Amino acid sequence: MEGIETKIRETAKALFSEKKIDILIGHEKGSLVFHSRPVMIRDANDTERLVWNSFCTNNLAVYLPRFFEPKKPKKGEVPPPLPRVAVIAKGCDARSIIGLVRERQVPRQNLIIIGVPCEGMIDKSKLEKLLEGDFIASGSIKDGGTSITGFSGKRLDIKKEQVLLDACIECAFPVVEDADIAIAGTSRKPATEKYKTAKSFSEKSPAERWRYFAQEISKCIRCYACRQVCPNCYCKECFVEQTNPRWVSAGDDLSEKMVFHIGRVFHQAGRCVECDACVRACPVGIDIRTFTQKVAQDVKEMFDYCPGFSPEVSPPLCAYRLDDRQEFITEP
Amino acid sequence: MKQGILTLSELTKFIELLKTSYKVFAPVKKEEGVFFEEVNSADDIALGYYNSKLPPKRLFLPQCEVLCTFENGQLVEIPIADEKCAIFGMRPCDALALSRIDMVFDKEDLKDPYYLARRKNTVLLSLVCDKPLDTCFCTSVGGGPSSGDGSDIRMVHLGNRLLLEALTEKGESLISSAKQFLKKPKQSDLEEKEKIVAESEKKVPRIKVDGIKENLEKGFNLPLWSAIAERCLGCGVCTYLCPTCYCFDITDEVKGEKGKRIRTWDSCQYPLFTLHASGHNPRPSKTERMRQRIMHKFFYAVENFGRTFCVGCGRCVRSCPVNLDLRESIELITGNKACVSTRK
Amino acid sequence: MENPYIPYPVTIEEITIENEARDLKTFKLVFDRKEDEEKFRYLPGQFAELSLFGKGESPIGIASSPTEKGFLLFTVKRAGLVTSELHSSETGRKIGVRGPLGKPFPWERMEGHNIVIVGGGFAFTTLRSAITYILHPQNRPKFGKLMTIYGARTPGELLYKKDLEIWSKDDRIELHVTVDKATEGWKGREGLVPNIVKEVSPSPKNAIALVCGPPIMIRFTIPVLLNLGFAEDDIILSLEMRMKCGIGKCGRCNIGARYVCVDGPVFTYKELEGLPAEY
Repeated sequence: MEGIETKIRETAKALFSEKKIDILIGHEKGSLVFHSRPVMIRDANDTERLVWNSFCTNNLAVYLPRFFEPKKPKKGEVPPPLPRVAVIAKGCDARSIIGLVRERQVPRQNLIIIGVPCEGMIDKSKLEKLLEGDFIASGSIKDGGTSITGFSGKRLDIKKEQVLLDACIECAFPVVEDADIAIAGTSRKPATEKYKTAKSFSEKSPAERWRYFAQEISKCIRCYACRQVCPNCYCKECFVEQTNPRWVSAGDDLSEKMVFHIGRVFHQAGRCVECDACVRACPVGIDIRTFTQKVAQDVKEMFDYCPGFSPEVSPPLCAYRLDDRQEFITEP
Repeated sequence: MKQGILTLSELTKFIELLKTSYKVFAPVKKEEGVFFEEVNSADDIALGYYNSKLPPKRLFLPQCEVLCTFENGQLVEIPIADEKCAIFGMRPCDALALSRIDMVFDKEDLKDPYYLARRKNTVLLSLVCDKPLDTCFCTSVGGGPSSGDGSDIRMVHLGNRLLLEALTEKGESLISSAKQFLKKPKQSDLEEKEKIVAESEKKVPRIKVDGIKENLEKGFNLPLWSAIAERCLGCGVCTYLCPTCYCFDITDEVKGEKGKRIRTWDSCQYPLFTLHASGHNPRPSKTERMRQRIMHKFFYAVENFGRTFCVGCGRCVRSCPVNLDLRESIELITGNKACVSTRK
Repeated sequence: MENPYIPYPVTIEEITIENEARDLKTFKLVFDRKEDEEKFRYLPGQFAELSLFGKGESPIGIASSPTEKGFLLFTVKRAGLVTSELHSSETGRKIGVRGPLGKPFPWERMEGHNIVIVGGGFAFTTLRSAITYILHPQNRPKFGKLMTIYGARTPGELLYKKDLEIWSKDDRIELHVTVDKATEGWKGREGLVPNIVKEVSPSPKNAIALVCGPPIMIRFTIPVLLNLGFAEDDIILSLEMRMKCGIGKCGRCNIGARYVCVDGPVFTYKELEGLPAEY
């Protein structure tokens, strides 16, 4: 891990000194134990802040659209040139970035994707569960193991593999395919069993699935954190906030909450890369992963499509082919 | 009766007694964390908890509240909730937060009947904090692990028993009604309480908050705001989890000829919050909205009510998906380090 | 305890289309219950939340004066969800009125002074209330000279044409009406409001100015008044903000530590200068 961190800093420093970029989005040390957080670097001297560890979970693609929003220049003035942005990307981040390129939110030629080999990120909530509700007071990582001490003084030594994010355990694409600069190192092997979470959900009866969905969604407090952290949710006006027509009410009726979540998951169909940023952001612990992965699995099975590659290919729900199935319209 | 000792073996009967007159809410441990829920018995209560995931303010200011209904174009007033509730085991920071919200909702000429009815009908038993986290900073913002503001009874966990102290008339009458389960506190009990409180106060981390109001007054246009807000995603989790945040939206929801006017939680971090019908937005970007949040809590509230509207519970620090740390922002402002766009 | 979230039931008695573009209408509202009318004691400068059940509420300045008994007047521009619904309403429809809200013009302070009223566009509504109030025989002696400068984009966009007609013949008020761009048949002044103020040059001596208009008009009128010698404390403005509760609780209409719905919407220029420029 340290080797990779040093290489990231060197790469960043070189990009700035060679004046190849204006901004670099990466990770820096957080203010709490076992936290890393996004950082925007604009100067070669600040590249020392960049870190790489098992807590670099944030999907940095979410910051890209704002740098490329069209700006109306003042009369007679030429619009300022678009910035050149470098992004530290894991496999999931890179697929989000390609998705944004495909949807024309971000120009590929202004991006430098720095692909980093990812061995998987640690799930802090799994650590806290092992501490049985206690919070992590201090901790350290070495040699594939994690040692944590809770505020009660309880100490645990755990294997890293036990506490990785589900998104990482089930990750099918840990290697960045379209990196402009590939940092050398070993990545995780792709998961052998694909869509594990979705499969176990599919095995339940429809009534059980509905009950689980209702149970999870009833926790929702309509904070929209899931939407805000998602790189794909860049709509200027979200359907849930439209007033004319008013599709969804702001109240706490279960049906209204369900409409929001069903709408969001289906708007992600063929676009979601299963980075689980939404799951981590949710303050009430809704199991969004089960639903997003289910839809992703359905898209793969029905259309043989997986998002995050080939920006020139239209995703299934944005394309119309003459041989598309339509018997469900004509023979319901 | 103003004080009493309740041994934990009697807690079940105490809760049963409470349940005869009140709906009892207490911290309950769930898979996702601790939440304030209605409890059936003392067994459901997570007495040794740190703090709840969501602040208990939702018991007074629910995420969705019906203000009135209408039918065929005519307004129908609804009865204001008058259920008696008891909240058992709220932390002092959350109780202090309620006394802050009281200042806004209980103004002389403009009172909020829904919130105030709930406050009037609820008896609050707060639990002195003996396990502050590294994200707490209550002592820096006018609070403390044994603060009594906002609560009716203050409880301290002393090993196998709880020391109860009435802080208001409501608390006194509750303690008197439960005297069959309570013993007179011994001097050693009171001394143990002082010891626990003193230790707790020492453990709570402190942040440099001196001069924050004056610095904010002068610092409206400082470039450091865009540095502070840079990685913010506008997700609003900080405001939803904050025990002193109370901003809301009012919308009408219709089904056929009937409808209701509801009040729902809203956040100053959302762009639609201040968007005019003309399209003009006084707070068009995250920078302005982040500045508004910090200004409101540490300057405007002090100007209007003489109190900081932050109780140092640390929920925003712990739950921010991008680790935006309010404490760092405060210290940047009080340290008044002039910022360039990547802060030092 | 009176519930400040519950509006009084009122009925639309009359609707007047005020302008050529037909997006400004004046609604004459009558209280369903006499006791509500008695409770609704207001002064010019205040506003109320017009409540359309099923759509929401909209904060609108009160255009009638408290000296006009038996009804309330609101002039509303069609802009969003609630105002569109109001515009498509017919007389006889029952709606709600919540108020009066906000602080009025500083009437106590204004007594004994000359009053200079400067209005532009459809922000003139509360100024109509002020003028009608001052011109009432019981009130007129309390004030000195009354001058009004009112401008709109074109003659068709002028509000309250009947009132303007009456006031132009009233020698208790010096009225100057102007348009940005004259059309055929217009015999009045032509020129932007700030320029007309400069031309007319009202004296600042013992005078208080009430200024209401679109932001751009205010931006250019204030320097003219300051140059003429008006003190910052004697220039009174009325602000607009997105509002929901109207009673200082929902948190959205603040400028710095002041809430436009309870500390305003009326502010002196001096007060505004002391607030952050976030409106």
